[in-house]
Amino acid sequence: MGIITVLWEKWVEFRRDFYKITVAAMISPLMYLIIFGLGIRTTSHGQPYITFLVPGLVAMVTMTGSFGAIAQSMSVQRLYEKALDQVMVSPTPLWQFILGQVLGGSLRGLYAAAVILILTIPVRHGLIFSWLSVVIMILNGMVFATLALVLSFLAKTYSDAPRFNTYIIMPMSFLCNTFFSTEEMPDGFRQLIEIMPLSQASGMIRSISFGETPELMGIVILLAYLMILGAISVFFVYRKKNL
Amino acid sequence: MIEIRDLTKKFGDFTAVDGLSFTIETGEFFGLLGPNGAGKTTTISMLSTVLLPSSGEIFIDGTRLTRAASEQKRKLAVITQEYSMRQDMTMDEVMEYQGRLYYLPKKEIKRRSSQLLEFAGLSEYHRRTVRHLSGGMKRKLMICRALLTEPEILLLDEPTAGMDALSRRQMWNLLRQVNDRNMTILLTTHYIEEAEALCDRVAMINRGRLQKLDTPSALIEELGRFTVDETGDGTLTSRHFSSREEAIRYLESAGTDASLRTTTLEDVFVECAGRKIT
Repeated sequence: MGIITVLWEKWVEFRRDFYKITVAAMISPLMYLIIFGLGIRTTSHGQPYITFLVPGLVAMVTMTGSFGAIAQSMSVQRLYEKALDQVMVSPTPLWQFILGQVLGGSLRGLYAAAVILILTIPVRHGLIFSWLSVVIMILNGMVFATLALVLSFLAKTYSDAPRFNTYIIMPMSFLCNTFFSTEEMPDGFRQLIEIMPLSQASGMIRSISFGETPELMGIVILLAYLMILGAISVFFVYRKKNL
Repeated sequence: MIEIRDLTKKFGDFTAVDGLSFTIETGEFFGLLGPNGAGKTTTISMLSTVLLPSSGEIFIDGTRLTRAASEQKRKLAVITQEYSMRQDMTMDEVMEYQGRLYYLPKKEIKRRSSQLLEFAGLSEYHRRTVRHLSGGMKRKLMICRALLTEPEILLLDEPTAGMDALSRRQMWNLLRQVNDRNMTILLTTHYIEEAEALCDRVAMINRGRLQKLDTPSALIEELGRFTVDETGDGTLTSRHFSSREEAIRYLESAGTDASLRTTTLEDVFVECAGRKIT
């Protein structure tokens, strides 16, 4: 099965760069936790701010972890190493290659989330993370891994990968329900931000962590993103004239 | 059998391959010869499905080659001009990845991999990452990787580019050996002597177009087996003759700056393309 082959390749990558990946997954969220959660002690919705922040950070790292794992690796493989040629000429069905990349990327995001959850254990935030939280993390990771695939197929130079990060991932990290609620945003802009996948994932993970029932429409929205981006990446890998 | 029908590839306004059509028989050693920028690599890239043709079709054993044609792709292996490998993988991992992509059982991957690396003299480096290999070692590893899956068709894009003379000869011997096992080989090269030494038939392309296609000896025969080079006013003019006697007669009538030699494939190419190959 081609999916297993790609997961194996992702495992080789993960095993080799275990320490680098782990440290990279920790640094930014740890800084945000220290600065916003512990340094600037405040409250949100009558609760310590850190209880608002942790679920947002967990959703955020599933995004950055998954996106980073695929965008960087695929851009390098396609444009610099030309290692994608090896896959293209092989009998492994390309949809399986795509699915393997998406799952592999999502697992990297999940790993990053696990690292954050372990790091926040001493804070005793009392938040709840259930199996549904894990499903949402995986789904969010899959959406951003697929987005990374689409963008890496569009990349023309190796330096495009960091640019995508600056144009898409960084604004989403700050705007999409990670650090502050979208409730206070002006109309129009608020709706635009709320429809973003990270806003949905953050909102649902946060609701679960507060012991509330999440708005499951978010899962439908994430699935819609996944299907659209998945269809684009499959189209690219089968139909794009010059890969 | 590979059948290429009216294959064209355009990049914007530039036509890299222009209506190429030819057939490569099973077990044939076929050379695609042309200068840099002739469209050789683009043709190989379309055969490996990395590029899709603007028009035209490729058939492998009668079935159209597409990116979804897994059965056809199972028969193919490519050795590209560039080192197309994960640079951060070890040799063992590169081989395992290839084997997995072709659905080989793990035991079989290990067995064939160790045999091939041993054969290529790479065994002691099997745990070394690609990034830390020399250019020659990377080239050998690419060959091992391609042969791992025992392909029916091997596509080689300038496989000896940048190799020293000894390594090139070793490569030629290896390619002859695999071709003797009825493996179809398509080799692109701009080294005339390589095409002459290895290929059963040669297609000469220039600016994406097929100029000539035949056996090397037939192409030379057609032009004339003997060549007289004349130099004068800083220019070189070559005349071709079918018999030595004819060439000697001309040589005697020519000036002192004239010499006789046997015709090469390069002469054939220069005649039909008006451009030197190397």
